[in-house]
Amino acid sequence: MNDKILVVDDEESLRLTLRLKLKAAGFDVDVTEDGESAIEKLKTRAFDAVLLDINMPRMNGIEALGIIRQQFPQTEVIMLTGFADFTTAIDCLKNGARDYLVKPIDTTELITRLRSLLRSRSSEQALYDVQHQYASIFFEDIRGPLTEIQNDLNKVLKLKGKSEATERDKLIRDARARCETISKKIQMLLDFSRTEFEGKKAEGTPVNVSELAERLQKIRES
Amino acid sequence: MSQPKKILLYQYKFEFENGPEINFDVELNAQTLELINKDGTPKPEWTKLAYDQCENCPLSPAVEYCPVAVNLARIVETFRNDVSYESTLVTVKTPERTFVKKTTLQKGLSSIIGVFMATSNCPVMDILRPMARFHLPFATSIETFFRSISTYLTGQFIRAAKGLEPDWNLQKLLVHYKAINSVNKGMSSRLMNASKQDASVNAVVILHSFGDGISYFIQRELEDIEPLFSAYLDPQQQHDQAAEATDPLSPPPPP
Repeated sequence: MNDKILVVDDEESLRLTLRLKLKAAGFDVDVTEDGESAIEKLKTRAFDAVLLDINMPRMNGIEALGIIRQQFPQTEVIMLTGFADFTTAIDCLKNGARDYLVKPIDTTELITRLRSLLRSRSSEQALYDVQHQYASIFFEDIRGPLTEIQNDLNKVLKLKGKSEATERDKLIRDARARCETISKKIQMLLDFSRTEFEGKKAEGTPVNVSELAERLQKIRES
Repeated sequence: MSQPKKILLYQYKFEFENGPEINFDVELNAQTLELINKDGTPKPEWTKLAYDQCENCPLSPAVEYCPVAVNLARIVETFRNDVSYESTLVTVKTPERTFVKKTTLQKGLSSIIGVFMATSNCPVMDILRPMARFHLPFATSIETFFRSISTYLTGQFIRAAKGLEPDWNLQKLLVHYKAINSVNKGMSSRLMNASKQDASVNAVVILHSFGDGISYFIQRELEDIEPLFSAYLDPQQQHDQAAEATDPLSPPPPP
């Protein structure tokens, strides 16, 4: 399925040209003329990315960016401007825009950046999905042994005679082994999910995200 | 005694809500379509040829000022503090008719800047000069694409009539527009330094977008307007064309 792009610019010729270029590059393109109508379109249809002009009547690009980030966090935003201004560029990036391009836009550069952004976005999404699947599997793995430990301990409480000491010791050893297994799994889970859940970055080693996702999938299946 | 030059006059008037009325006269030599510059045209620093010179500029370093920049100087200096989307009522009087449109400042400016650029004597922009004779203010993209292609094909017809090789396939048109867009890009960079707001820069960006879109239009969107030409696709019409094939001006079949 083609990536869906919304072009927001108050000038008809720019909307048309961007539509022609992006369509030719294989994107599914819709266009609109200002921030307000862009928000309305986003309410009715999901877009992968929005190309958002800054200087527009009614609702400008900066205002629209704030609303898009808040209400449509899955949609990436690239800001477009005819007037390069370093402060505005920094503001846009701080407020959640993923890129900032100065008009007149170089077609090749735009398409390259857009593809790169959407590729990294889909890789991030794939990793996010796998992390969550992984987490849910781990929780299942922990819940089972915990129930067994609970059962073992209930049995231990009932085995009070000297003759039952051997069986009691065995149950306690089993429970302790299960506790160690659970402890290891929790540690693995914490290490793995730290980047996502605590916003911390893992130690940097370049990896191929697709391969990593496949490896995780195999771990999950095994 | 020499005859006075015939002048082709386009009069632009920009009216702003609660603001001044600004007038620009575009005077062209009706024969050559060269812009007639008035005395006292400002030549600020940013109009010098060497100042942010276009990457494909064919002019020699001996030329002190960029002809396009000089032609744009007055309009750019006038609107240097204005934003692109400011609403304005633009009236354009041509010898034949008057156009009136409430539009954005960038759209109004792109219209007049287009004429200034095409008639500036910049060698790269010269190919657009005939379009200035058939100036269509506030044209949409499709109208501009159509005018560009029509002008170019008329030029090829004239070339063929003069015994020169015509380019019926529009191959060189795309090459020309690539060069024109280098000038548009260079000019937008110049104007960015000359302006405090984006009105003039965006006006050039609009012109750039026409140049940028025309190749896509020819390659992919021409079929949208093909039904309008159904009469040209009539087999009888083709038969008539075949009968006239001995005419040296007849274009070859399309590629």
